[in-house]
Amino acid sequence: MTYVEPLSREAITDPEMRELMAQGEALGVPDDLFPRIVARAPEQAKPFMRALLFSHAEGNVDHRLKEIIRILLARFAGDEYFAALRSRKAREMGLTEERIEAGCGDYEDSDAFTEAEKCALRYADQMYLDATKVDAAFYAELKKHYSEAQIMELGAFIAFHYGMQMFMRSLGATAPRSPA
Amino acid sequence: MRYSELMATDPDAIDAAFFDALREHYSEEQIVELGLFIGFNLGYHTFFGTLKFYPMFSPDGRLITQAESEQIYGAAPASLRSSEATK
Repeated sequence: MTYVEPLSREAITDPEMRELMAQGEALGVPDDLFPRIVARAPEQAKPFMRALLFSHAEGNVDHRLKEIIRILLARFAGDEYFAALRSRKAREMGLTEERIEAGCGDYEDSDAFTEAEKCALRYADQMYLDATKVDAAFYAELKKHYSEAQIMELGAFIAFHYGMQMFMRSLGATAPRSPA
Repeated sequence: MRYSELMATDPDAIDAAFFDALREHYSEEQIVELGLFIGFNLGYHTFFGTLKFYPMFSPDGRLITQAESEQIYGAAPASLRSSEATK
């Protein structure tokens, strides 16, 4: 149980919000808990759900890489809820639990990741661990592997998801009983 | 303000009693709105900080270039400097 009680599914009647909730459930991230909580602030709920879904599942950065980053961040945030969720799309694209664990662990010494992937993982890792390391030299390194648009996509994705993970942690959200 | 500070620095201190205290002043809708706003800003301000950009306006309200803004505001945004000065 979260400190703010989620609305029942039936209480969410706005068609667009119901559609966004269905999109989240189809993807697996978020399940219905996050939208049922944010729906308590109806004017905020839809833009936040849109941003959560779009930043994760759309864009020009590999969705599987974003999924690893999302889980890495959730663990760092201490957010059991988002850390337990899994993207069905990423799984269908071939992302395994083994690779997620490798990405959330000692990825620097792993042969499983390209230098570009390691750089993106480092971006997320350092952002909230020691942001002073994300400096001009770090961005120059990122630019060897990613376009400016991809770097902004990654940075915005990292910032938004980490923020929502901290929000869910503050509500005492825990892992769903049956992870997707 | 306590909610924002704790979410960033000590989320374990946010418990049911804390939310009961929030409910003395805010509706459930306002609490969710606040939480989303704080989480959003918590994530984005760190990201923006790494991009090293400066305010678009001078203290007297002129639209200025980033080069001029850096000269005015120095190595860190004025908002961060004033925050540090008050500690």
